[in-house]
Amino acid sequence: MSALASKLRALQQQAGSAPTKSVASPTVDIAQRLRNLVQGRERRRAQPLVAPAGTEVAAGVYFVERRINSTHTCDAWMPWGDLGHVARDRLVCFDTETTGLAGGVGTRAFMIGALQWHDSSLLVRQLYLTTIAGETAMLRIFAGWLAEDSVFISYNGRSYDAPLLKGRYRLNRLPCPFADRGHVDLLYPTRRAWRGVWENCRLATIERNLLGIVRNDDLPGSEAPAAWLSFLRGHSAVNLRRVIAHNDQDVVTLAALLDRLQILPLEESALAGKQVRTATLPARTPKLEIYP
Amino acid sequence: MLAQTALTTAQRSDLGASSTDGLVGKLTERYRDRITGYFKIPAIAPRFSPFPPGMSESLIDALAARGISQLYSHQREAWDALAAGQNTVVVTPTASGKSLCYHLPVIEAVRQSRAKALYLFPTKALAQDQVAELLEFNRAGDLGVRAYTFDGDTPNDARQAIRVHGDIVVSNPDMVHQAILPHHTKWAQFFEGLRYIVIDEVHTYRGVFGSHLANVLRRLKRICAFYGVSPQFILCSATIGNPKQHAEALIGAPVQAITRSGAASGERHVLLWNPPVINPDLGIRASSRSQATRLARHAIRSKLKTIVFAQSRLMVEVITKYLKDVFDHDPRKPERIRAYRGGYLPTERRETERALRNGSIDGVVSTSALELGVDIGSLDVAILNGYPGSIAATWQRLGRAGRRQQPSLGVMIASSNALDQYVVRHPEFFQNAPPETARIAPDQLLILLDHIRCAAFELPFSAGEVFGETVADDFLDVLAESGVLHREGDRWDWIADSYPAQAVSLRSVADGNFVVVDRSDGKQVIIAEVDYSSAALTLYEGAIYMVQSQPFQVERLDWVGRKAFVSRTTVDYYTDSIDYTKLKVLERFDGSNAGKGTCHHGEVHVVRRVSGYKKIRFYTHENIGYGPVTLPDQELQTTAVWWQLSQAALAEAFTSKQDALDGFLGAAYALHTVAQVSVMAEGRDLQKAVGSGETASSSGYDQQGRGQWLASEKAESEDAVFSPTVHLYDNHPGGIGLSEPLFLRAAQLVNDARELVARCECKAGCPACIGPILASDEDRRSPRGLALGVLDLLA
Repeated sequence: MSALASKLRALQQQAGSAPTKSVASPTVDIAQRLRNLVQGRERRRAQPLVAPAGTEVAAGVYFVERRINSTHTCDAWMPWGDLGHVARDRLVCFDTETTGLAGGVGTRAFMIGALQWHDSSLLVRQLYLTTIAGETAMLRIFAGWLAEDSVFISYNGRSYDAPLLKGRYRLNRLPCPFADRGHVDLLYPTRRAWRGVWENCRLATIERNLLGIVRNDDLPGSEAPAAWLSFLRGHSAVNLRRVIAHNDQDVVTLAALLDRLQILPLEESALAGKQVRTATLPARTPKLEIYP
Repeated sequence: MLAQTALTTAQRSDLGASSTDGLVGKLTERYRDRITGYFKIPAIAPRFSPFPPGMSESLIDALAARGISQLYSHQREAWDALAAGQNTVVVTPTASGKSLCYHLPVIEAVRQSRAKALYLFPTKALAQDQVAELLEFNRAGDLGVRAYTFDGDTPNDARQAIRVHGDIVVSNPDMVHQAILPHHTKWAQFFEGLRYIVIDEVHTYRGVFGSHLANVLRRLKRICAFYGVSPQFILCSATIGNPKQHAEALIGAPVQAITRSGAASGERHVLLWNPPVINPDLGIRASSRSQATRLARHAIRSKLKTIVFAQSRLMVEVITKYLKDVFDHDPRKPERIRAYRGGYLPTERRETERALRNGSIDGVVSTSALELGVDIGSLDVAILNGYPGSIAATWQRLGRAGRRQQPSLGVMIASSNALDQYVVRHPEFFQNAPPETARIAPDQLLILLDHIRCAAFELPFSAGEVFGETVADDFLDVLAESGVLHREGDRWDWIADSYPAQAVSLRSVADGNFVVVDRSDGKQVIIAEVDYSSAALTLYEGAIYMVQSQPFQVERLDWVGRKAFVSRTTVDYYTDSIDYTKLKVLERFDGSNAGKGTCHHGEVHVVRRVSGYKKIRFYTHENIGYGPVTLPDQELQTTAVWWQLSQAALAEAFTSKQDALDGFLGAAYALHTVAQVSVMAEGRDLQKAVGSGETASSSGYDQQGRGQWLASEKAESEDAVFSPTVHLYDNHPGGIGLSEPLFLRAAQLVNDARELVARCECKAGCPACIGPILASDEDRRSPRGLALGVLDLLA
């Protein structure tokens, strides 16, 4: 049956069963018929909301930034990766907020947060979308923050955030920044060191029990997609503000967790990664600094 | 004891033939009266063509290693058409070297420019076959081509390697739909090099499945365009009436058809076989099952490798049992007979295929599962227990017997149902009818909407973008309203946290296979899988479920968990379900007068319920009991065509209401038969329901296709206004485009039905014209006359 026939059939149905009745536009009727089929709810498009934080750095992309003082400049020691000692200013702790966990190319990141050590302070920068069309610009800007020798630090990012972003770069026909840079996923050493100690090894559990970080008014990560959608649809910006705070804390926690992993006793370090020879141990043990 | 009876009968009926020709001679001599048609298809000499000029030496060497020194003409034609940049469909019989038509150009492209190819087969088994063949060919010529299957069984860690390293990825439409397209960015490298898309067995992609595939291909082409490639299509098909048109409808682009096979084939005998009449008054014939088993025994005793096609999984088991009782009664000897059907575990099926290829078994009993190009080597005799429902499928099955050099035999045995009887009594129709055309309705609204939803997940849509032949905007607005898409200016993006391909099954509405779990020995072993649509018919509690003719009894059915728990049993009966259908008209699209009645076309709601089952004893086939079944109803919204007469019109023409009803039921039966022939639908695609006015109920069809129109059912509709109606409906959600052509041809159908009934040779009516009649009917006015009376009213 041709498309035309289908349309005619739908048309006839709309016009009762009399086949000769003429109707202005068949396409309108097709839409009407489909509406009935899916019983879609009528949604009114509201006026765009004011973005909850930051400044617009490209059409549809907002930028949030803050600095945290830190005296911490020694190399990071990461015996569990292939990298060993890495200068602090090469590290990029990052985390994304996405539209869901369904997977596939239909899932996108609407927010990217990154923490970098910069001139004896910590620089937390976040990008988020206020329109879908801003995605290309957001991905470009994020890639622009990276140096050639940057090393990514994440929590479960090797399996989740990086592949997802890789797909988004591909979709936007941009070079992928993950292709030729190191990436240390702290989930693995954390799991090796503290598996079974608490109920699970989710970042929230680890930060509460291991790092003693307590979040106030935290929006659970699982509610982030709805928060962004609500903003995008013009309903409310309240929860998107909480997502920004949540994402900020995530990257800050990453930095703290990295430091905590530095002071693992030797045997735990060895357990946590491959065999480490004494010669590669750092000259001094860095002290743990919990960031605000 | 029963088995012993079967054995002695079998020995008595040994014909003593020892070759195909011998068997044909004996059969035509002894069973002259049962053979309604006999034709001989002469042997065909091969037609060869030289290797094309562009073909590389190493490819020629690889062919030489397999003993091939020149190409069949159709293989060369395919090469040339592809070289000229055309999409190509190759339509040649089984075992004609069809796969080389695509392997050769693909391998050449892989070797010369590291091009990629995607092969699609309707089943995993066929895909595995092809990879095995490719790898063997690859080894023979040391060609360095990497071919992998990619299906639901592919382990996760292998997937990444396949995406990156596979030159040829062999998969199925469901995987493209659910795993490849929704993750296309992971396949970017593969897509960027994609040069050929090969789709084999395209004749199987008709109806709902075909309509879905056409849309999957639209999505695939959309993704290809994103990666800047426009691959060429190579399609292969068994014989159908419209290969070019069907291929073009599937891929949405012009296709060149290559329809002349250059392969040799041996002489082929075809017999049309009608079981003998055992009750002339009621027009009742011996069962086709008894004839099929008898013929299989003759063939196997004549040392001929034999395949028997049965119409249902149940009948496969019954016939297998009867043949095993004769040939496999001694457990010390190797097995000679095996069953093959959907639902068996893959390993078991592979084993049977292997046994067939190397000739270690003598007979196989199969459903349509072996109709496809699964490699089982060559057989001598094909026996069809019942008309498969289409000319194309008949030839496909008959074609399973046939060797290059030796003669082969195919026998089509008619069952008592009307369509079979029509075909077997019109051998000229059978011989001359063009094979069926494959129909798809890719723009069926619900299917289209499903795939636009999936496509929007894969890439955003722009305003005015055309999907297939439709501007997608209206569909996108509908999806945006339901919250899965977000519109921004002229662009729609996927926004929901869901994976739409998961919710869309290409093959049926309902998803979720049932597994059959054997608990006999204390542990739980999965012995079979049953698809959702047939679970209600075969796995109800109390059912006897057979695997390789070993009976298992269903003890518990976990409908939600999709599990049936069974245990081995020894019983001398099998079970057959009884199902009922209720139908209600939702909406009329169009209507016209039909004589003194009316004919309409519209949308209906169908509810099917399995209400119970019968226990049927092996060999005697007597009914030895009933059991109840309580299972959820299965619902279906679809399109239908229906004829209706008013009570007044009937009363004018008939003296008693009973006569009018009998006449109407007979007419309905005949209309259903001619409608099936007219749209060349397979029986299961077009169903019938008879009732009053806008609602109808009827018994379903049991395994032999016996329609049972009992007085009690008629009484049910004796409410205020009685207006008998016959509905013919598409047996697929949303309809698949059968009922509309029927409506347009309504007048012709009534005429055809009249002719069918008027010209039948029976006395008062028989399964070949108006359906089975009751013995008591003989004394009254002829039901056949009554049916004619009703058809006159509708003409």
